[in-house]
Amino acid sequence: MKHFKKLGRPMLDRRSFLSGSVQGLAGIALTKLMAEERARAASPKIDAANPYAPRQPHFEAKAKNVIVVFCSGALSHVDTFDYKPELIRHHGKPMPGSEELISFQGPNGNLTQPLWKFRPRGQSGKMISDLVPHIGEMADEISFIHSLTNTSNTHGPAVNLMNTGFTFDGFPSMGAWVNFALGSENQNLPAFVAIEDPRGNPVSGPNNWANGFLPASFQGTPFSSTKPIRYLDRPAAFSSDTDQAASEALRFLDEQNAARYPGDEELAARISSYELAGRMQLSVPEAVDLDSEPGHIRKLYGADSANEDKAAFAKNCILARRLVERGVRFVQLFNGAYATMGRLNWDGHGAMKEQYDIHGEILDQPVAGLLKDLKQRGLLDETLVVFATEFGRMPMFQMGTQGRDHNPHGFTGWLAGAGVKPGVSYGRTDEFGFKAVEDVATPHDFHATILHLLGLDHERLTYYHNGIERRLTNVHGHVIRDILT
Amino acid sequence: MTAPGKTFRLTIAAFLVARSLIAINGASEVDQAIGLSFEKDIAPILEAKCLGCHNPNQQEGDFSMATLEAIQTADEEYVIPGNAEESMLYWITLPLDDGEAPEMPEEGDALTEEETKALAAWIDAGAEWPGGLVLKEASKADESWWSYQPLSKPKHASLDAYIESTLKTNGLTLNPEADRRTLIRRVSLDLTGLPPTPEEVEAFVTNPDPQAYKNLVERLLASPRYGERWAQHWLDVIRWAETVGFETNFLRSNAWPYRDWVIAAFNDDKPYDQFIFEQIAGDTVGEDAALGFLVAGPANLPGQIGRDEAAMRNARQDELDEVLRTVGQGVLGITVGCARCHDHKFDPIEQSDYYSMQAIFAGLKYGDRRKRGSENDDWSARVPAAKTKRDVAKTELESLRSEHQLRKPLDTIHTETFAPIEARSIRMRIAATEFGSAASLYEFEVWSSSDNESDRFNVALASNGSQVSASSYALMNQSRHFDNLVDGTVDKRQAYPWIANETGPAWLRIEFTDATIIDQVIWHQGRSSRDLPAEYVIEVLPTDSEEWREVSHTRDRLPRTSDTRKVEDIDLPSIGLDAKKSIVEKIRALRSAERELARLSAGPQVYAASFAAEPEATYMLRRGDSMQRQDEVVPAIPAVLGQLEISDGAAEEERRLALAHHLTQPEHPLTARVIVNRVWQHHFGTGLIETSSDFGYMGSAPSHPELLDWLAGRFVADGWSLKKLHRLILASKTFVQSSIPRKEALEIDADSRLLWRYPPRRIEAETLRDSILSASGKLHFEMGGPGFDFFNQRGGLTDYVPKETFEEEGWRRMIYAHKIRMVSVDIFGAFDCPDAGQMKPKRPRSITPVQSLGLLNSPFVNRQAGFFAERLQREMGDDRGAQIDRAFAIAFSREASPAERERLSVLVDDHGLEQVCRVIFNSSEFAFLQ
Repeated sequence: MKHFKKLGRPMLDRRSFLSGSVQGLAGIALTKLMAEERARAASPKIDAANPYAPRQPHFEAKAKNVIVVFCSGALSHVDTFDYKPELIRHHGKPMPGSEELISFQGPNGNLTQPLWKFRPRGQSGKMISDLVPHIGEMADEISFIHSLTNTSNTHGPAVNLMNTGFTFDGFPSMGAWVNFALGSENQNLPAFVAIEDPRGNPVSGPNNWANGFLPASFQGTPFSSTKPIRYLDRPAAFSSDTDQAASEALRFLDEQNAARYPGDEELAARISSYELAGRMQLSVPEAVDLDSEPGHIRKLYGADSANEDKAAFAKNCILARRLVERGVRFVQLFNGAYATMGRLNWDGHGAMKEQYDIHGEILDQPVAGLLKDLKQRGLLDETLVVFATEFGRMPMFQMGTQGRDHNPHGFTGWLAGAGVKPGVSYGRTDEFGFKAVEDVATPHDFHATILHLLGLDHERLTYYHNGIERRLTNVHGHVIRDILT
Repeated sequence: MTAPGKTFRLTIAAFLVARSLIAINGASEVDQAIGLSFEKDIAPILEAKCLGCHNPNQQEGDFSMATLEAIQTADEEYVIPGNAEESMLYWITLPLDDGEAPEMPEEGDALTEEETKALAAWIDAGAEWPGGLVLKEASKADESWWSYQPLSKPKHASLDAYIESTLKTNGLTLNPEADRRTLIRRVSLDLTGLPPTPEEVEAFVTNPDPQAYKNLVERLLASPRYGERWAQHWLDVIRWAETVGFETNFLRSNAWPYRDWVIAAFNDDKPYDQFIFEQIAGDTVGEDAALGFLVAGPANLPGQIGRDEAAMRNARQDELDEVLRTVGQGVLGITVGCARCHDHKFDPIEQSDYYSMQAIFAGLKYGDRRKRGSENDDWSARVPAAKTKRDVAKTELESLRSEHQLRKPLDTIHTETFAPIEARSIRMRIAATEFGSAASLYEFEVWSSSDNESDRFNVALASNGSQVSASSYALMNQSRHFDNLVDGTVDKRQAYPWIANETGPAWLRIEFTDATIIDQVIWHQGRSSRDLPAEYVIEVLPTDSEEWREVSHTRDRLPRTSDTRKVEDIDLPSIGLDAKKSIVEKIRALRSAERELARLSAGPQVYAASFAAEPEATYMLRRGDSMQRQDEVVPAIPAVLGQLEISDGAAEEERRLALAHHLTQPEHPLTARVIVNRVWQHHFGTGLIETSSDFGYMGSAPSHPELLDWLAGRFVADGWSLKKLHRLILASKTFVQSSIPRKEALEIDADSRLLWRYPPRRIEAETLRDSILSASGKLHFEMGGPGFDFFNQRGGLTDYVPKETFEEEGWRRMIYAHKIRMVSVDIFGAFDCPDAGQMKPKRPRSITPVQSLGLLNSPFVNRQAGFFAERLQREMGDDRGAQIDRAFAIAFSREASPAERERLSVLVDDHGLEQVCRVIFNSSEFAFLQ
């Protein structure tokens, strides 16, 4: 058959296959129906009364918890972690073979060397720029992936892909998948927390921590050092006695109702959810009490900085540590807000030097402090720290500007901590950092690797939605084994 | 998966091979001596059992089995002609000695003994593979899949007979009928999304009329509240929202008329075939708002799409993909979207089907369109008067202009001609813009002087070597850079304007490579008319002087109609202040007359699909990659559904009409089954097919297939009337039975899928909020029009701040909330309210602590609890018991038990009536349909 259909194409011989009927289904037995539904549910079985109960991974996990540091706006790899001597040598010249390159915003100018000096760091001698010197100090703990790629060169879809596995809106976020798969070690705190940057929401906003088509139980709960959980506290107008009395009366009514429906799981679950809410009200204030942190720890992260944005982001990093310390499964830590031509995030199209100097100051010490603190507490052995962004930036400046355009063809992300080989680099971009050329890695590979470290097979973690057993990794993804211990 | 897929497997394979062979001339039979034909006997096995993973797209184990060459290139030992024993393809499919399953296929069923024997015989006979034959992966289901078949013949005469027969097979029976209080509450919440009032409950409970229940159903179906409830279900399916989604999430300010159209369609019981027809081709019958359906999904804005060809093509593909998903899943229950990159793995939908179906919509555009109808007719009738008014204003302004000897206003592409002068440089000094915005121009052309038109050239072009500079450019970004002034293009998809960085005076300057005699400047409006230069001089630097010489100015130009500057800011030195004032007044009058005329002429707008008369060509795309175009395709529906009746070279409208006619055929196997199942789902919590937008292989098997067919048949015979379908279902014993569980039945069927009881469930977010407002007495019944706000902004980038308190406007039913894509609504979003990112035919029903916190502590709920308490006080005075009884009657449709009355009286005494109301809003009974 040709691959196209001409008008008036031959009518299929319908009679030949319409002769079958639905009789075969008529007597479908209940047991079969149920068996089928069980077979479909290769995915975890959720106890409605306790959706966050810890659940077994597919195999032994290296990491218990995850912290994802996400740089919104697309952090330049060629100015931070991907050292390209040829780019320095060819500074000011057109990129050979790509003189006419049109990228996201249009034509590009000449190759432009990194705006910050690269120096060898740590025992590994990894070349890292002066934009992130504190992170550089931790180079020996980090496994760099220099060959990440994205399929979209637009922020929204690209951020979606990095955090949900799909460029489109409405798919479950990585944290929701993990929450769904593993539940949480701490029943008194949300299992999945999204910590927004003090400067504002990241690109794509709540889609980054949405449950998509998974039950709402698994969505991320947004709060930060500056923004508490919504409606956690009882209304100021009610005394604690009043609140308590109301809770007891509620329980009385709900138990009366549940008694009329013996064995109804949803009614039991609802009573449990009020108990869990009550425990959360008690536990969260302790978890977010950053004042209890000693001075030297605050200093380590830069939480004492006079730079308010830096201090607030540093506090978010401390909060992230306190949450994983208490068994919270998945923490997203956003650095950078939404599209503002690079003023509030890493989208350095026009004035990269000035803007990145500001953003680097906010990012660098707090993230390094987080790594150091996790390490000194032994938490890095069970916590995976992921550092990501939606794509990289071009090795040249855009025509007529002092900044770089979007580059989805090659960029850097990194992993550190549980189960990850320290001080190694994986994959490579070409000599200018334009395109990944060796061990090219997709966001699906990145996700498959993260799930693997959590003891999850990305091909088996599925949920049926509109015709497909959906996965975080769509139909793609290979675990990047070279960077695993 | 149960039987159907498998029993037909041989047929499938044969069908597919036959299909593959069409392209091959004279495919030879394999060795007749062994009685095997590769095409008939071997290829089907490979296609069904191997190609699923080893295909050219997937290449599991790094090889494809589409051709013998591909297999042998991967490893010569896979197939050794003449030696089956040593050929891996053969031995790897054999069961292991210990009786364990063979190593291959890793997924799906093992080969039967017959199949392995055939495989061995073929290899032993020399493994002949007809030249050029390329195998294709077999989809799991083929054309014989149950949902493509005509409806089965009725077996029983009533809905209950079908249900009871299946119950009986499983040793179960229906529950007895529910009590009347439970029943009126159930049917009210189900049909209208609101609890019944205590008066309605009492009237029903005490009504001796045997028709009481029937009349109750009639009353509810006739209520406008019915459409408000059921429209939401449809909006869920198609993920309708009033913003574009993605990063910018901009507002679609005219989207709401579609929501109102859906509500009205349900309330009017618009026949479902017509409902579908109008949503595909409503423009042909004057139902323009219906076309909001096709563009219900997200779509990125042109400005958010990269300037590279790949990004632009991908964005267009994504836009059309959303349309195909809406139609495919929404109307047909087929997941046609899965065939975008490859043939569907499960259902008989080829990749070519996807692109053929896309071609139906090749002319489709997202955006506002004119909404015809009575409002439009009214506006149109007012056009002549508005035109006269505009003409009068124009004439008056024109006479003022000639009276004061002013030149005509500037154009948006403006030409200034002057005496030829030899110049080295040129500059434009802009003193003001029309709206006070920062100055902007798309292009600035300077033409050399010559008698011979063909000798003239644009001296300013960068490509002619000129150098451009300007006072500043915005955001230090190339998309606003002054290089754009001389790049030779004004194509808005490919090029950008220059925009100055700050408001107020600005300048631009161009140095020519060589001194040139020039006599003309043409400048092009920049970003918009708001930043159009209104007052400027253009000067040149002559070769014979170091002083700039003026060649044109605006000092005697009549301002444009769009000019909004104040009188005192307008520089017209030749006329007096009074004259200037009257000119500005006349301009203002003309502007408002023109605006009104434009508004009336354009008519009322709705965000809905519009269509280009000349649709773009549609191509097959290799692996869905928009940069890898293959053959052009013509419009068609997936072959498994038959073919469209359209002529060669069908015009745009004809394509959609053909699709609409196809979908609404009474004998269509899917259209009626799909909607009947959706209706069932909303009455019972779960559809007869649980996966209500997927009737394919990956969908769930029907729990009651014959009932589904019977309902679909009745539905079509009843003129596709949804209200008749509701009546049929609601009148059944199955619907009116009690929801109380029985232990022995729970053990057999814990999920109540077989309906031995009415399945209780948590109510949806909208029903919960509406019920709270109904109980507090604050529910505001205003229908239609623009929605109320849940947030501080109606669209745009992130950082939405939820509103915590509302007044009357915000106490409307929740379907009238302005719907923002991907932003979870405060408090109620946690109750699985869809985010309109992906289609949501069935909402999960999760139960979470975040829900509890929102209901317990939010100002919204507590304020309504306060109103509820005030209402009780007002209606019942200070009598504790009466207050509590009334609260129960309003919220639960029943009396309080003595124990409840006593318990809650204590709470009132110690902490106030408001706390009782707070507790009720949080209670399970309030949040459940039982």
